[in-house]
Amino acid sequence: MIMRRALIAFLGTALLASAAAGAPKQKTSPAPVPPPYAGHYQPQGIDEIGIWREDDERERALANSSQVIRDEALNGYVRSVLCKTVGEDRCSSVRIYILRVPLFNASMSPNGTMRVFSGLLLRTTSEAELAAVLGHEFGHFEQRHTLAQFKAARKGTDLLSWAAVFTAMAGTNQAYRNFDNLQISVYGGLMRFGRDQELEADLLGLGYLNGSELRPQAASRVWRNLILEVEASAAARGLKKPKFDNVSFFASHPPEGERADYLYDLAAPDSEGRDEGADRHAEVLKPWIAQFLNDQIALNDFGASEFLINRLGERGWTADLWRARGDLFRGRGHPRDHMNAADFYGKAVSLDPTLADAFRGLGLSLIKTGRVSEGKIALQAYLRLSPNAPDASMVNLTLSSIGGR
Amino acid sequence: MIKSVLRIAALCIAASAVIASGGVSANDYREMGKSFEIADSRMFVTPPRDWNQLSIKPGKFAETWTLDGEHLNDVTFFGGVEPGKPLVRELSKKHEPLPKFSEATLLIEVPELLQLTYQAYKKISEFKVTTVNPGNFLGREGVHFSYEYLDYDNLPRKGEARASIVDNRLYMITFDAPRLHYFERTLSDFRALADATTLR
Repeated sequence: MIMRRALIAFLGTALLASAAAGAPKQKTSPAPVPPPYAGHYQPQGIDEIGIWREDDERERALANSSQVIRDEALNGYVRSVLCKTVGEDRCSSVRIYILRVPLFNASMSPNGTMRVFSGLLLRTTSEAELAAVLGHEFGHFEQRHTLAQFKAARKGTDLLSWAAVFTAMAGTNQAYRNFDNLQISVYGGLMRFGRDQELEADLLGLGYLNGSELRPQAASRVWRNLILEVEASAAARGLKKPKFDNVSFFASHPPEGERADYLYDLAAPDSEGRDEGADRHAEVLKPWIAQFLNDQIALNDFGASEFLINRLGERGWTADLWRARGDLFRGRGHPRDHMNAADFYGKAVSLDPTLADAFRGLGLSLIKTGRVSEGKIALQAYLRLSPNAPDASMVNLTLSSIGGR
Repeated sequence: MIKSVLRIAALCIAASAVIASGGVSANDYREMGKSFEIADSRMFVTPPRDWNQLSIKPGKFAETWTLDGEHLNDVTFFGGVEPGKPLVRELSKKHEPLPKFSEATLLIEVPELLQLTYQAYKKISEFKVTTVNPGNFLGREGVHFSYEYLDYDNLPRKGEARASIVDNRLYMITFDAPRLHYFERTLSDFRALADATTLR
């Protein structure tokens, strides 16, 4: 009996403890500018020293990865945006690695390694939008969130291990039911803890932006655009319209809709007129757009790719954008797509008559829509522009099979 | 919860016992000189040396053979992919669809189809088609091409393939191996196997 009472008391305390771990952080509006940087931080205690050592190992592997884009200008640009956002002193503790991964993401690990995915660069349309994400990630680093998450997870799982022992000792149905409830409570608390960390990083990120020269309202637009992209992706796949205001039990981040709203509120109201650096951003990314779009199209997410191309087109349609749109439609390959693809490739080659790949796409699309002689001319132009193309002999075969070179 | 975990553990032990006793189909031996049908299709092959056929079946139309395991040398046959179908099985038709072969797909576009399938299926970006040349496959006009890519396990791999479109169906054989050592070592075996593949 004493054992059972002790068990119930123990479980009760555990529930309270796990609930406390998930206490929500306060959102103050606008987000305050963070205090001066405390200086270069070194890990404290065995947990943190261990985490940093593991992270150093991961960074060594990362530095040698073929996925890393090492272009000096692009790396210099991303670093300059981070430094503009968080300040030179904070910025000097970060190593940035741009990875060729076509997804919307960036991350920062405990030892100061920042990973920026190429998909993020494709999706942001200004320095301020990029700064919003980089500032958020830096916020995780400055608050040492990985360590806190590690400790919370250890505490929670330790608790569950002991509870499992006591439950087995008690052996009653009630004890098993209590254990089930405790498990749900601990895991729910841990996920909520993670969401609160995201909120805290958002708050800090906006604080940096408020203190910078960039327009902080851009942060909200990053999430609004992501919502539109996810909706476009779902619509093209015939899926149900996703919900952006529900928090699911296992969600690691706050819902996108809520985030877009509170990020807007956190922006300093007197900063509306600031520059976003959209032109500078577009200029630096110009040589990369074609490759980043190719990687995006390869995800085979028609709706999202079409949405991204159209959004980039709002700044003015370039030959690369039309070519990418042509590839997207030709790749999907519905009979109606070939007509559209031919149209898009046609626009690409009229803007840039030296774009060999666009001529290739144009030729193939025209052949498929029955305009064989026009297609032949386009393929001949492709061979003229790119005589050593890897598929030159195959193009010649295609030309001969449709009647003449 | 603990009870249910124990139940699952018991089931796992029972399942592994069934597998160990040979109750579930496993890999198969493909002996030199005998004729084998590929993926219930019109494609047949008489291997010039011994191979292993793996029980993993990447898709309805596909079959994988290997010498040392699929990570070291992977030969995949595609036996007549129908128009409107992907090359390999989609993980999720709705959420992760793959590019489809279609009646309009030209022979010159087959390398692109394979590239986009690899990129979408393996979630990789770095993929380069290095050569595309006309060549015979299954005794018909076809395309021979080669490619290299950084695989999902961060290992650079090289590949070579031959394809042909017969009666609106795509027949193809691909060979993938790590760029270091294994590709060159098995390339001649793959080519001999591709030469020995016929259509009935």
